[in-house]
Amino acid sequence: MLTQKEFFEKAGAGELQAVRCSRCGALAIPPRAFCPECSERAWQPAPLSGDGTITSYTVIRVAPRGFAGEVPYAIAAVHMKEGVSLLGRVVDIPFDKLKVGLAVRFRPLTRNGQTAVGFGPR
Amino acid sequence: MRRVAVIGVGVTKFGRHDRTSAELFAEAAADALADAGLPATAVQALYYGNVVGSETEKQLHTSPQAASVLGLPAVPTTRFETACASSHAAFRHAVMEVGSGVSDVVLVGGAERVLNVTTEESTEYFAYASDARWEQTLGLTFPGVFALVARAHMTKHGTTEAQMAAVAVKNHKHGTLNPKAQFQKEITIEQVLKSAMVADPLKLYDCCPFTDGGAAVVIASEEVAKAAARRPIWVLASAAASDWMLIGDKRDLSRVPATERAAAAAYRQAGLGPQDVNVVELHDCFTIAEIVATEGLGLFEAGTGGVAAEKGWTSLGGKIPVNPSGGLKAKGHPIGATGAAQIAEVVTQLRHDAGPRQVDGARVGLTHTLGGNTATVLVSLFGRD
Ligand SMILES: [Zn+2]
Repeated sequence: MLTQKEFFEKAGAGELQAVRCSRCGALAIPPRAFCPECSERAWQPAPLSGDGTITSYTVIRVAPRGFAGEVPYAIAAVHMKEGVSLLGRVVDIPFDKLKVGLAVRFRPLTRNGQTAVGFGPR
Repeated sequence: MRRVAVIGVGVTKFGRHDRTSAELFAEAAADALADAGLPATAVQALYYGNVVGSETEKQLHTSPQAASVLGLPAVPTTRFETACASSHAAFRHAVMEVGSGVSDVVLVGGAERVLNVTTEESTEYFAYASDARWEQTLGLTFPGVFALVARAHMTKHGTTEAQMAAVAVKNHKHGTLNPKAQFQKEITIEQVLKSAMVADPLKLYDCCPFTDGGAAVVIASEEVAKAAARRPIWVLASAAASDWMLIGDKRDLSRVPATERAAAAAYRQAGLGPQDVNVVELHDCFTIAEIVATEGLGLFEAGTGGVAAEKGWTSLGGKIPVNPSGGLKAKGHPIGATGAAQIAEVVTQLRHDAGPRQVDGARVGLTHTLGGNTATVLVSLFGRD
């Protein structure tokens, strides 16, 4: 099964990797031990296209220590075309253009040498 | 399960204190034991909530520390950590210890100290309740989580920022009636709407404050309760539920499924429904959180919680008064103490002892406590004979 470290290594290279249950077809990201739909433990890799739409968003104005120099910044919940959702930083989209339903595309963000999930314009 | 009652309650003043969380807990616990009319030696176990002590006070092992500071070094203790729901989780397990017959008198409570660190630091520590690798790396904050809930609720149901502001105005008004509350002043809708943006669409007055404080309750078996100094308030139900940890796994951000599950389990345990509840203390860490909770608890239909707040249905004197204490919003939110403080308020209400904020004739009360990113919820029901 894909470890968290492997997921973020792939994500850093631009590839979003989900897993699909080979018994019931349920899709999951990130991977988990048991399929929450059928309890099977038979996952297959399932690359995602990276395309999704915003289901909710916010602009953070008061940040945790370590992020204070970055405010304001936007975070969105994004429903991916394949059916799973991911939370990510939104970049290169003006705050006043953010809306529920807006089409976005995955892009890896690197911060302090760590990859995080980001989304930019489609 | 044997019947279990709450026979004593104690809460410190909420706000800024120059005392450790263990000292704050000891004050609340001593008050709770005095209220119960029991000597400290009657306590057979301590169930304790504390969340960010390892960060703000560089302190782990907080439950035996709290017991030592209280002067009860020998009782078995356990610390519970389910973010903001910690002392309510402690309460549920304590009820099981007494209900199962293991103990007859158990002390439950919690404390937190956060105002000794900066807002940036406490914002970071509270964010630890979200996933370290997937979400903290984004700079997600606790207000940010509920901002996502708010935006989803506004989009799905048309909930407005003014409706959210109505929750803040109502809880501040209730807070003026509670001498233990952190805030003792009324605010207006306009003040809320014009306050500084924290995480759009949530503004400063949509958010509960950082708070130092402690709370404690004494629970007992029926036999002990019937001989106690005060009228026993019976625990009719205590239920917990969870939900996915990651925001990405929560499929409908306008709902909190853990609230719906915990409420269903609590109503089933008690053989009651939302229509039987007279007073509610629920987890209004943000104004939208109160709106979503009133829906998830079945007090109002999905999507109508904002309307209910705006029309005053949740105010003292309304259809179903919510957070007569002032709630987390005005009373304050010392996270490890909050669940126990909510229970203390409902017990006070059911004793008909709440003075100017008394809900007339209350016979059944409910407490609801939510942990962090909505992954933990506890719901308990209480009644008077
Ligand atoms: Zn499956």
